[in-house]
Amino acid sequence: MTALELVSQLTEAIYVVIFLIVAWAALRRRTRTSLDIALFFGAIASFIVESRVVTTFGLQQIEFISDVVTILVIAMPYLLLRLVDDFSTVPLIANRLAEAGLLFSAIAFLASVGQPPTPIVLVIVVYFAALATYCAVKFIRAARRSSGVTRRRLDAIAAGTLLLGLTILIAGLMPLVPAAAGALDGLVQVLALGSAIAYVVGFAPPPILRRAWQEPELRAFLRRAASLPRLPDTPSIIRALQDGAGSTLGARATIGLYDRETNKLRFHDPHGVLPNEIGPSDYLVWRAFETQRPRYYADAARAHPALASSYREQGVRSLLIAPISAGDERLGALEAYTDHEPVFSQDDLDLVRLLADQAAVILESRSLIDEAARVRAHEEAARLKEDFISAAAHDLKTPLTTLVAQAQFLERRAVTEPSAPADLTGIRRIVLEARRLSALVVELLDASRLEQGKLVGEREPVDLVELARDVARRDGYQGRRITLSAEAPVVGSYDPRRIGQVLENLVENAVKYSPEDSEVRVAITERDGQALIDVTDQGIGIPASDLPQIFERFHRAANVDDRRFAGMGLGLFICKGIVEQHGGRIWVESRMGAGSTFHVVLPLGGVA
Amino acid sequence: MVDDDPSIVAVITDILSAEGHEVVSAENGQEALAKVNGEALVLLDMRMPVLDGWEFARRFRASGKRSPIVVMTAAENASRWADEIGADGYLAKPFEMDALIAAVERHATRPH
Repeated sequence: MTALELVSQLTEAIYVVIFLIVAWAALRRRTRTSLDIALFFGAIASFIVESRVVTTFGLQQIEFISDVVTILVIAMPYLLLRLVDDFSTVPLIANRLAEAGLLFSAIAFLASVGQPPTPIVLVIVVYFAALATYCAVKFIRAARRSSGVTRRRLDAIAAGTLLLGLTILIAGLMPLVPAAAGALDGLVQVLALGSAIAYVVGFAPPPILRRAWQEPELRAFLRRAASLPRLPDTPSIIRALQDGAGSTLGARATIGLYDRETNKLRFHDPHGVLPNEIGPSDYLVWRAFETQRPRYYADAARAHPALASSYREQGVRSLLIAPISAGDERLGALEAYTDHEPVFSQDDLDLVRLLADQAAVILESRSLIDEAARVRAHEEAARLKEDFISAAAHDLKTPLTTLVAQAQFLERRAVTEPSAPADLTGIRRIVLEARRLSALVVELLDASRLEQGKLVGEREPVDLVELARDVARRDGYQGRRITLSAEAPVVGSYDPRRIGQVLENLVENAVKYSPEDSEVRVAITERDGQALIDVTDQGIGIPASDLPQIFERFHRAANVDDRRFAGMGLGLFICKGIVEQHGGRIWVESRMGAGSTFHVVLPLGGVA
Repeated sequence: MVDDDPSIVAVITDILSAEGHEVVSAENGQEALAKVNGEALVLLDMRMPVLDGWEFARRFRASGKRSPIVVMTAAENASRWADEIGADGYLAKPFEMDALIAAVERHATRPH
C-alpha cells in the first residue's frame, strides 16, 4: 500500500466514524440540526462505502444504488447549506440557487451515460466549490458570534468545509490537466484528510477537547463572579449573572429567583414570553425547576404549543434551562434563550448547568452576606435600645437624687426638730424635681405613643408666630438671644400643644449645642399654602455622617459628648413624628463648627 | 461640690451644712478649678458642660492639689469612672442621705 492509499483509507475511515457518531447522536436527540448533520455525513459515508464495496469485492456496480449514491453526493453542498440555515439565516436567493444547482447537477448526471461532458462537470464543480465556500464563510461568522466550545467547533467546521470545497474543486479540475494528475491526486488526498480531521474536531470532539475549550470561558465567568456577591443588592447580582451567562453562552439569559413563601419563580427582567412571576404551571422553565433537571428545548414553540405564537413573536426559538440549587436548597432557575437553534446543544446545556451552579454559589454567599447584615442590624438595634435605657435611667436618676436626699433631710428635721418651721425651700424643691421627673416620663410616653400613631390630637387654628413668640420669651436660655422674625401671623390647623412642643424642642436644642452669647434665630413665613419654620443656631454643627440619622430614635451625633450633653435622644424623633403626622416635613442643614438650621414645612391645612 | 444640677447642689449644701460642714459649690469643672482652695473633700459630678469631671480631676491633680475626690454620678459605671480618675470613693445617684454623710465623714481630711 502506498502512502497516498493509506491517507485515502484513513480519510474514508474517519468520515465513516464521524457518520456513526453523528447518526447515533441524531437517534438519541432528534433535532433538525442533528438530523441535518447526520444526513450530510450519511451522504459522504454512503459514497465511501459503496465505492469500497465495489472495488474491494470487484463487484459490478448496481445501477440503482450507484444512482442514489450519486444523488446523495451531489446533494452534499445543499445539505451543508441546510445545516447552515439551522443556526443562521440563509437568504432565500441563496437557497433557491442551491436548489437549482442541485437539480441541474442531478439531471446532468442521471441523463448522461457515464461521465457528463466536461463543461457540465466544470459547472457542477464550480457550484460545489462556491457553495462550500459560502457555507464556510457562514460558519466562520457564526463562530464569531459564539463563544467557548461552540466557537471552537464552528471554527473547525468552517476549516473542514473549506478543505472539502478545495478537495472537490481540485478533484473536479484534475481531468482537465492530465499532465499534473499525479501531483494533484496527492494534494487532493491530503486536503481530504485535512477536512476529515477538521470535521472530527468540529462535529465529534473528544471530551478532553471540550473541557479544554470550556475552561477559559468558565474562568472568565468565575473571575467576574468572584466580586458579584459584594454588589449592593440582589437585582444587580442577578443582572450581572444574566449578562455573564449570556456572553459566555453567546445567547441571552434570564434568571428567576424562587420565593418559597409564594412558591413562585420571580424574574427581574424576563424575555417577552415569560411573566414576572411563575407558579406551578406548564412553563418550560417551571418544568425544569420542578424536576430539578437541566432541559434543552430546540423549539420552544413546539415544546409549549399554548405559547407557540408568543415564542415566535418574541423571537425566542431555543431554550437551555438549568435549575439553580445549592444542595437541597432550591434557589431559582437560569434560562438561556436564542433566536436560532444552537448547533451543539449538549455542550451548551453542560455550560448552562455549570453557570447555574456558579450562580447558586454566588446567590448563597450573597444571602449569607445579607444574613450577616441582618444580624448586625439586629445587634445595633439591641445596642441602641440598651443605650436608650441607660440614657433614660441617667436622666431619671438626676431629679430622683434631689427627691430622695431632700425628702430624707426633711424627715430627719421633722424628727429631730418637731417644732421648727416648715422648710418651704426644701418642699418646693421636691415639687420642682417631681415635675421634672414627670416631664421626663411624659417624653418617654410621647415616644411610645408616637410609634403607635397616637401622639397628635385635636387640631384647631393656631398662629405659629404667636406660638414661637411664647417659646422665645421663656427663661432658661442662659444668655443665648432668641430672635423671632415674622411679618404676619401664619395660621394653620394644628395640635397647638404638639406644634408648640416641636418649636420648644428645636429652640432648646439650638441653645443646648451653641455657645453662650450666641444667637438663635427663629423665622416663620408662609409660602404657597405652607408654613415654613426655620430655627438657626451658631452651634457646634452636626457631622455629615450623622445627618441622615439624627431624626431616628435614640440617635446622638458622634460629636455630641455624652458626658457633656445628657439627654434621651428622643427630642428630634418626637419632633419628626409630630411634623409628619401633620402632613409636614422636617430636615436639617448643618456646617461643622458654623451651626445648624432646622427647617419645618407644615401644610396650613385648609384654615382660612 | 461640683455639679451642674442646681437642685442637687442646693439639697447637698443643706444636708452637709446641717452636719456642720462648710460647702463651696461650682456648676462645672472650670468654675471649680478657679474656686478650690485646700478643701477637705471634693464631691464631683462627671457629666458637666464646659469642663467635665475627668478633665477637672486631671488638672486638679496636675496642679499638685491632694484633696480627696468622691465621684457622684447617675451613670451605671460610677465605680469605673471613679477608678478612671483615681477618685477616693463614689456615690451612685440617687443616694441615701446617710450614705452621703458617711462618705464625707470617711474621706474628708481632718482639719489640722
